[in-house]
Amino acid sequence: MKKRIGLIVNPVAGMGGSVGLKGTDGEMFKKSLELGANPVTPARTKNFLTHIKNKQEIIMYTAPGKMGEEYVKSFDIQLETIGAIDEETTAEDSKKIAREMLNDGVKLLIFVGGDGTARDIYDAVDSKIPVIAVPSGVKVFSSVFAVSARAAAELVDAFIEGTDFTEEEVLDIDESAFREGKLASRLYGYLLVPNVRKFLQAGKEASSTSSSSIENKKEVAQYIVESMDHDILYLLGPGTTVKAVTDELKLHKTLLGIDAIFDGELVGTDLNERGILELFKKYKKKRIIVTPLGGNGFIFGRGNKQFTPEVIKKTGKENITVIGTKDKLNSLDCLRADTDNFKVDKLLFGYIKVIIGYKEEMLMEVQC
Amino acid sequence: MLKVTIKLNMNELPYLPPKKVIAAAEKGLLELNRYANPADLELLRELLAEYSGVNKENIILGPGSDLLLREIVQIFSKKRKIVMPSPSFLPTVRSAKQFANKLVSIRLSPPDFKLHHEILIDEVKEPTLLIIDNPNNPTGKVLLDRKTVESIVKDEDVLLVIDEAYYEFSGITFADMVKDYPNLAITRSMDKAFSLAGARIGYIIVGNTFLKEFSSFYTYLPQSSLYAASEALKNPTYMRKNIEKIIKERERVLRKLCELKVKVYRTSTNFLLIKTEIPDITGMFRDIGILILDLSNQISPGFIRVTIGKPEENDMFLKEYMNFSDLFKQNYEK
Repeated sequence: MKKRIGLIVNPVAGMGGSVGLKGTDGEMFKKSLELGANPVTPARTKNFLTHIKNKQEIIMYTAPGKMGEEYVKSFDIQLETIGAIDEETTAEDSKKIAREMLNDGVKLLIFVGGDGTARDIYDAVDSKIPVIAVPSGVKVFSSVFAVSARAAAELVDAFIEGTDFTEEEVLDIDESAFREGKLASRLYGYLLVPNVRKFLQAGKEASSTSSSSIENKKEVAQYIVESMDHDILYLLGPGTTVKAVTDELKLHKTLLGIDAIFDGELVGTDLNERGILELFKKYKKKRIIVTPLGGNGFIFGRGNKQFTPEVIKKTGKENITVIGTKDKLNSLDCLRADTDNFKVDKLLFGYIKVIIGYKEEMLMEVQC
Repeated sequence: MLKVTIKLNMNELPYLPPKKVIAAAEKGLLELNRYANPADLELLRELLAEYSGVNKENIILGPGSDLLLREIVQIFSKKRKIVMPSPSFLPTVRSAKQFANKLVSIRLSPPDFKLHHEILIDEVKEPTLLIIDNPNNPTGKVLLDRKTVESIVKDEDVLLVIDEAYYEFSGITFADMVKDYPNLAITRSMDKAFSLAGARIGYIIVGNTFLKEFSSFYTYLPQSSLYAASEALKNPTYMRKNIEKIIKERERVLRKLCELKVKVYRTSTNFLLIKTEIPDITGMFRDIGILILDLSNQISPGFIRVTIGKPEENDMFLKEYMNFSDLFKQNYEK
């Protein structure tokens, strides 16, 4: 039986890049047109569609015209068009069509765009169905994206042939800060993507050393849980890698917040700085467990501002455990910290141990 | 099935061994029904000892240095943690992951991929098996100097294994230190420099701590490989000329890539490390029959490793790289 797959193309994604606008959110799209930018998504989308091998196994539900239909119709793929759009498309169109596709029983949603499009799709479908993200935006920092259009096509084939799924990050990048040369981002949410390692050529050095992302998170979590002490307060930062630790302990985790554990029990959920400092009065020994943000490697200052300079100072660098999957760590040149307090940043600079597997650690530099 | 025309992904030498070496290998084929002659194994050990400037007793032979490294990991990691740089030679990383009690990697980061010695020394304060490829594969960077090696091996609880698979290209070796430090071992290969990848001759120059554990280690190697390797060692001039050619060619390709504004890193090996902005370039090269190595899982996305081939092969690589680059610019920088 053919699989129902949705396709939404953000026709303006990536246009700001060539004219130096670093994004096409809101009014910047009009500005990119004034500056003579050309659409980049058509070539990307066609390239992506060309490389899908199992075209005959798909019924592709697409948005009309330049949001999908006009690219798919030149391929030998069964096509159903959904929704209606105006000449000028907006983020609302992506969200509305994604919801319609969900209602029509689409089993996988493919979108072509950047970080902004990923946020729209997250708002519309959350983790209800898996997605495949084809990178075409000016800012593509979220780890939810495939490495290339071709790799995205391979993910589609893997989905058709049967695969499991993993959660990957969607980041919220502040475009105005980005235009000023600052990488200000926060964790926006998680989307479900096929859990397939990057395709590499054959040969004795070609295959990845890493296990799948889900297995890797479990390995890390097992190692952390085995080494946990009963007299230490553990503060767990946001993210699915950290959540794997609470899963291992059979506890509930606030995915985007900070929770506290003592002796195998939750003693605080979704904590702010005040809540953390209150706990510090009660518990002498403490340890922070964080995972770096994908794409830019921030361990503090992005998405976990509840870990204020005061909290970090009181904890001490020696009581900070960084954890992460090998795939995420390999995509980073270094780790970063930006706590709004240079003295605390400086305290964190230098090498830090990152738990990347069961009894497996990597020494990585915190800099920048 | 894809027809491979140019193979720049496994750091082999593009040149065949000399005729005498091929003839020696052919002679071995006439004894294909037999295991290797022990006298020929001994002869090869003698020749390798002479070539490396060490005693024959300190040479252990094996079918490729990757398998010898695996053996070392298996034997010596039981009561020690393993420390390695990251990235490192992948087969060794895999062995370490499989057998290590605990594995600690030290991340080498661009642009210089330096191994910070104080971090290294700090990490080996307990019983450790430290494995360092020098020059490093895949970055091509020399990571160790004599002072650092000395400060590591003076602690006998630390076993240091230096993989010198690319020694002939870097000209840097610590083999002479094995006589003074029982806890030092050097692994080498005849696969690369001697154009003998198909013969799979690897060897370790071992200090006494290693030698004790390897006393019962004995491996039969193919008679063809033994004859070919011994013949190659009797006249290493051919190999040395090839190394000169490859180094000269490596520098030419590096200059050319720099002129073309490609981000390329200087190496001490027979390959170059490149950071590209073109997505999935390895797949695009593969489609036209040119194999290169994708390093996105080892360093970070965009890094590739390209072996130096014959000048015409390298020219083909450069030409196609520029085609892909133009195509990329047309698509993204309209």
